[in-house]
Amino acid sequence: MPRSIALRPEIQYANLAQQGETAEFGMWVFLVNETIFFGALIFTYFLYRLTYPHEFAAAAKDAVLWCGSVNFGLLLTSSLTMVLGINAAAQGRRRAMVWWLVATVALGCAFLGLKGFEYYLDFQDKVVPVIDYQPKPGEGRVGELFWVFYWVATGLHAIHLTVGIGLVLYVLLWKIRAGEITPAYYAPLEVIGIYWSFVDTVWLFLFPCIYLVARS
Amino acid sequence: MNIETDPRRARALPFVWAWLILLVLGGASVAVAFSDLGMWAPIIQFGFAAIQTAILFILFMRLKGPPSLKWVLAASGFVWLSFLYGLSMTDYTNRQGWPPLYAPNGPSFQLHQSRP
Repeated sequence: MPRSIALRPEIQYANLAQQGETAEFGMWVFLVNETIFFGALIFTYFLYRLTYPHEFAAAAKDAVLWCGSVNFGLLLTSSLTMVLGINAAAQGRRRAMVWWLVATVALGCAFLGLKGFEYYLDFQDKVVPVIDYQPKPGEGRVGELFWVFYWVATGLHAIHLTVGIGLVLYVLLWKIRAGEITPAYYAPLEVIGIYWSFVDTVWLFLFPCIYLVARS
Repeated sequence: MNIETDPRRARALPFVWAWLILLVLGGASVAVAFSDLGMWAPIIQFGFAAIQTAILFILFMRLKGPPSLKWVLAASGFVWLSFLYGLSMTDYTNRQGWPPLYAPNGPSFQLHQSRP
């Protein structure tokens, strides 16, 4: 039985619309921090790539392009299913909302699964700095820097995606079942959708940094 | 209770088209990587990434619409990032020997040096 009390705004807000807009605004404040966080990381990559272009080109040849490309498609598709889930919530189509969100979680998990397989291939290829690293011809002493960036950047991205999957599952298993997501108030889903698309955006920049270096 | 659906959440087709454009741009980035464009390849690829980001921000993340102050936040992220990039590059571009120059038969790289 859905709880009708969930449709009341918190005491500090005049109405649900104001509460939703505040939540959305709060997520954007958080994303400014995230922009600086990932922006600084990518900037260090640019500096090293400009300093050691040939070594980076040689090292990057071992990145598994097909894994990165499939993951690119999976992540963009998950953003679409996420937004279609929010649309369904706004239109009051509960069943459709649940299925779109389940698809989003499935695509997110598929991304992580494929990333795990890629990490396995990387271990086999001996491109794991500190633990097991074997320099390839042409990358000199600094090729390892590329792989440090690879592990740090993709690892942080995977952690962000895992948090996103957890948040969608939280909405699916608690919020929707409790009747707290309705056409009158679906801000929690909207906020998670913004976060999800931002995580997608990070991959848009990591993809050319890691997988598309010196392929011609 | 009769609630009017937000017009931005009423139709699926704009999102499907945007998704197709995002995938096409991703494919174009891969194609550029395999073409012989030299230093232009990463510039074009990051240009595509910037267009894709704009699509995601404006359409998927609903940057357009209330609360309108979202624009200020989204812009501030990039403004602070440009400070970080600008000030750091000012330092690096004033270092002697950076970025290193490559000679066809020379050493693979030369370490950059700070000015005395």
